[in-house]
Amino acid sequence: MNIDYTKELALVEGNHRLADIDELISRPLTQPPTKKYYIALSISGTALLIGAYSLWLTLYYGIGMWGNNVPVGWAFDITNFVFWIGIGHAGTLISAILFLLRQRWRTGIARFAEAMTIFAVMTAGIFPVIHTGRPWLAGYLIPYPNQHLLWPNFVSPLLWDVFAVSTYFTVSLLFWYMGLIPDFAILRDRTVSKVKKTIYSVFSLGWRHSNRHWRHYEKVYMILAGLATPLVLSVHTIVSFDFAVSLIPGWHTTIFPPYFVAGAIYSGFAMVMTVLIFVRKVFDMEDLITLNHLERMAKVMLLTSSMVAYSYLMEFFIAWYSQVPSEQYDFWARVVGPYRWAWYFMISCNFLIPQTIWFKKVRRSVPILFVISICANIGMWFERFVIIVQSLSRDFLPSSWHMFVPTLVDFGVLTGSFGLFFTLVLLFAKTLPVVSMVETKSVLDGAHPHHKSDHTGEVNFVTQGNVVAGINTSIGGGDNGK
Amino acid sequence: MENKSLHSVAALFDTPDQIINAAHKVADAGYKKFDVNTPYPVHGMDKAMGLGQSKIGWITLFFGFSGAIFIFLFMGWTMAMNYPYVIGGKPFFAYPAFIPITFEVTVLSGSIATILGMLAVFFNLPSLNDPIQDSDYIKQVSTDKFGVLIEASDEKFDKEKVVEFLKSLGATKIEYIYEPEKEEFKILQPKFLVFLALVAIFTSGGTYVTLNKLMYIVPFNWMDRQSKSNPQSETTFFHDGFAMRTPVKGTVAKNFMPYPYQGQAQPAEVLSNPTLPTKEILELGQRKFLTFCSPCHGNYADGNSRLMGQFPPGPTLHSDRIIGYSDGMIYNIITNGQNAMPSYAYQIPREQRWAIIDYIRVLQRAQNPKPSDFQAISQLKKESGKNVVN
Amino acid sequence: MSSTEIGYIKKELPDKIRKIGVSLLAAGAGLGIIGFLVEPQRAAFSYLTAFLFLVSIGIGSLFLVALEYAAGADWSTPFRRVSEFFSAVIPFLLVLVIPLLFSMHNLFSWTHKDIVDRSELLKGKTSYLNIPFFIIRSIGVLIIWWIFYYFIIKNSRQQDASKDQTLTRKNIKVSTGFIPVFGLSITVIAFDWLMSLEPNWFSTIFGVYFFAGTVWCALAALTLTVVLLNERGYLHTKITSDHYYTLGVLMFAFTAFWGYIAFSQYLLTWYADIPDETIWFMHRWIGGWKVVSILIVITHFVVPFFYLLSYKSKTNAKQLKFIAVWIMCAHFLDIYWMVMPSMKLNGFQYSFSWTDIVFPAAAVGFVILLFKSLSKRYNLLPIGDPKLQRGLDFHL
Repeated sequence: MNIDYTKELALVEGNHRLADIDELISRPLTQPPTKKYYIALSISGTALLIGAYSLWLTLYYGIGMWGNNVPVGWAFDITNFVFWIGIGHAGTLISAILFLLRQRWRTGIARFAEAMTIFAVMTAGIFPVIHTGRPWLAGYLIPYPNQHLLWPNFVSPLLWDVFAVSTYFTVSLLFWYMGLIPDFAILRDRTVSKVKKTIYSVFSLGWRHSNRHWRHYEKVYMILAGLATPLVLSVHTIVSFDFAVSLIPGWHTTIFPPYFVAGAIYSGFAMVMTVLIFVRKVFDMEDLITLNHLERMAKVMLLTSSMVAYSYLMEFFIAWYSQVPSEQYDFWARVVGPYRWAWYFMISCNFLIPQTIWFKKVRRSVPILFVISICANIGMWFERFVIIVQSLSRDFLPSSWHMFVPTLVDFGVLTGSFGLFFTLVLLFAKTLPVVSMVETKSVLDGAHPHHKSDHTGEVNFVTQGNVVAGINTSIGGGDNGK
Repeated sequence: MENKSLHSVAALFDTPDQIINAAHKVADAGYKKFDVNTPYPVHGMDKAMGLGQSKIGWITLFFGFSGAIFIFLFMGWTMAMNYPYVIGGKPFFAYPAFIPITFEVTVLSGSIATILGMLAVFFNLPSLNDPIQDSDYIKQVSTDKFGVLIEASDEKFDKEKVVEFLKSLGATKIEYIYEPEKEEFKILQPKFLVFLALVAIFTSGGTYVTLNKLMYIVPFNWMDRQSKSNPQSETTFFHDGFAMRTPVKGTVAKNFMPYPYQGQAQPAEVLSNPTLPTKEILELGQRKFLTFCSPCHGNYADGNSRLMGQFPPGPTLHSDRIIGYSDGMIYNIITNGQNAMPSYAYQIPREQRWAIIDYIRVLQRAQNPKPSDFQAISQLKKESGKNVVN
Repeated sequence: MSSTEIGYIKKELPDKIRKIGVSLLAAGAGLGIIGFLVEPQRAAFSYLTAFLFLVSIGIGSLFLVALEYAAGADWSTPFRRVSEFFSAVIPFLLVLVIPLLFSMHNLFSWTHKDIVDRSELLKGKTSYLNIPFFIIRSIGVLIIWWIFYYFIIKNSRQQDASKDQTLTRKNIKVSTGFIPVFGLSITVIAFDWLMSLEPNWFSTIFGVYFFAGTVWCALAALTLTVVLLNERGYLHTKITSDHYYTLGVLMFAFTAFWGYIAFSQYLLTWYADIPDETIWFMHRWIGGWKVVSILIVITHFVVPFFYLLSYKSKTNAKQLKFIAVWIMCAHFLDIYWMVMPSMKLNGFQYSFSWTDIVFPAAAVGFVILLFKSLSKRYNLLPIGDPKLQRGLDFHL
């Protein structure tokens, strides 16, 4: 396959015109859900209910329902927390960082990825609250003047987490909503249902596509992207500080911040890839979420998996180099100890399997990419498990060593987290446009006026004018029967 | 339709090139109150319309910065001044530990301020009643057309001229946008009043229920019933009913040497004074003597005390008998008590007892000085020229 | 030829540049040799800092070239050749490392058998920290770098004449292969030449730390040269403030990245307060080094960060040149701060020495001379590159 490097890769395939974009993207919102959708929703809903019941058991009977013990005080709870926060990172990376890097191919996937970030952070936020045992006292984490004259411990990374995750959630929500405002305006102007019109009008804040507003909008988008980029890096860094500031062998190592961030991006992209492969098929959006998008995402996954593998290597080497016996033992126990099966999962899913992405055949095959993305998520979950449970079960004093065995309630809560996440994703896919209509329109060929000095051949938009008008009138009448 | 006033004239165009051109021409023609509506931001439109750079970045800078400074100082105040607490050996003002939260709050305050500023200040949104809403113009722009809108309130506005001008730029469609009919909202409409009443009921009722009922619902109380015994409680386990037990006879606290002559009024042996009468020890002794001993024995240990007449007075400590006591004997008396004097073992730590004894010796010496003492004092006076009595 | 189609006219750099390069190099090298003869131990440390600075420029620039190929970026294509010229330092590193290999005894306390025998920790590390393996690693890494340099640069230069797009495809393959190798090899260099100066200390993030500073410095060198050359018409009229802006944004991003890595390393060491780990920072907090440490925070992070926040500073030629020079000096200060306090482990008391100026001056002269001679033989723009037109048309 010979690529012509003088031309940029097409971002939207299928020669769509502006009006098609609206139709294509808002169609799922107007059609009633299909049977497949209901089946998917019932699966995720069941998982959610299992999780809700497990949570109730935990809150009613206490943390004893979990398998946590001394020394393994953190197990599934924090593994799940770090796992879900990590998944959230891909969204912000795609919307903010790729925006700053002017990678225009992000338009097909940005909206969806941002939504996934918000849902992932919501799911993740449950865990720090419930793992405290008395979650009804969680209000004390917020620094407000109280009758005990106490303040939260600002020196503790657990409190930095509270600030980091809430900031992350707030800023991601604002960023996502800001992107939705023009799309709500489009939906408002397209819909015929009075109820929906009111809802869309309220949420669109009366947006009228005025360029005097676009001017500020663009600037704010860039500012938010510029703020969100260090924010997303800082959130998982602060999560990594939870471990790295301690003295536990296997935890206290300076590479944790970039290691965690790379791992988060890796697992986040994997989850985005998994979900998008479904979405593009189910909602017929293969022209907007193209194979090129998936290939680029796979390359990012390869890059971040290599960074993670580098970190593994560093940890192992320095564990030996440091000549600290407990450090050396912890890493040796990872390979031959009682949890070695988790470590094997981790290495194969996070390092060996993604290395196949070097081959073009692999990264342009949707089924293989789907399998790789599932493996990546499994691998990343096990990585957090290895870091947390393995290191805690084999810390300094051999007499303190103890195994961790998960209980059914542990699994229930884990299942529930997936249930919550996918339920929210499914609801999102049917109520809001999963791709940004406005951004997609702006990256079509011919969307922008010609620079006098441009040499690249652009599609001549004017001749298509009649075709556009033609399609427009047939759609303007509404969505009945489409 | 005729009594509606004209808000603006709007024209639609098909291509980005056309709209850029149109924007240029409209701006050049001197119109000030015009706008361009595009389904997405078109490159170069700001320049074409003659608009400068957006100034919203200043809001981000200002609020981000002030958020950072505020939270950093707040953390410093709580951790170093209001409730300092040694945590993990860190200094009170642990500024490396404050940096992550400072960064997060910078981003948070900057982002919120920027978005609110953009919406409220720059956009003046939400504006659900803008005349352009629901017009065919905005619907076309939402889909795929580009539009220019010139308001009637512009100084150069002339309906026919504007329409011709826009047509000459290549507009495919011209639309007249009218001001919406003004709706009269009487404050005292029944629907509104009912709504207000409902809001009041829900808010007050909800607050009452939450703060007075919900907050006191105990989710479960089995942690309240614990089988352990608390201090000062009853128990059926021991036959005397006390949960608190005294230690086994002869139990000694860790690292504690019991006083070997406990309870002995006339011990055969006594301890010897391990202290030297240094300045610090004597000052300590003086303070403690004045605190514990002077109420009964007087400030100068002469028996002339504050409690005279109310309580059997302590004897003077300048009698020959007491001067003849060894330090350890006085220690024994302080520790065990004697006659009306109770034991001071629980009030005065051992170090301080010896210090008091050293001070008592000073007082005794002051009442019964040796001749050589006067010589020493006059010698010191000569040498320093100052009053050395203090 | 293709020069006129794209609008690039090859002009030769003025002879003044060659004169500056030669004089700096000659003076520096001459005085340097004297330094090695007079006080070999002290000179070795100065040489090490200058050597590592050259490594940063050389391999950092090659990384930038490889990154452009791997990421498919087009905005940097017009001045990729500038980075290629800087990466030409790499082959010479094999010769320049030789004085260091002969000075190992002066530099590294783990080469002294009596020190190693007294320490259980060092005895355990001898399978890694021994002279033969060390030499093999250093030479091996430099050879690997040379190989990658050779192929990437050869393909790029060949393309000027042939305009063959398969060369781009080849280079993309070599570049994507290079990047992981680069990550590992620069870590080896950082561990060997910097971290083992204090052999009882360790930090898993140290390789990343050196990487961040390296790329930052290479970006600054690129920016300075691009602005200098473009101002005087040696590059192309279509390289505009938009290109400058993107270079400025990258420098800003790496300033933040370095700050992030440096802060992580410091915070984690400070927080756990384990003496094994804090000792490295404590050595850099006693006496005069306290001032230097604070200076590093200010010059390496605070100043470039706030300076590069505005749009103007990233597009104005004079301001860009200033901050680029500033950044390169700050990176040198960083290397100096990493190397010099370790002198005490060899029983050597630190004091500023004239050799500290001599070797960097020689390094700068060397790079200038190298650049001048390469620009004579090769085009300053990759005129055969298929992405060149898109790169020149680049707008924000």
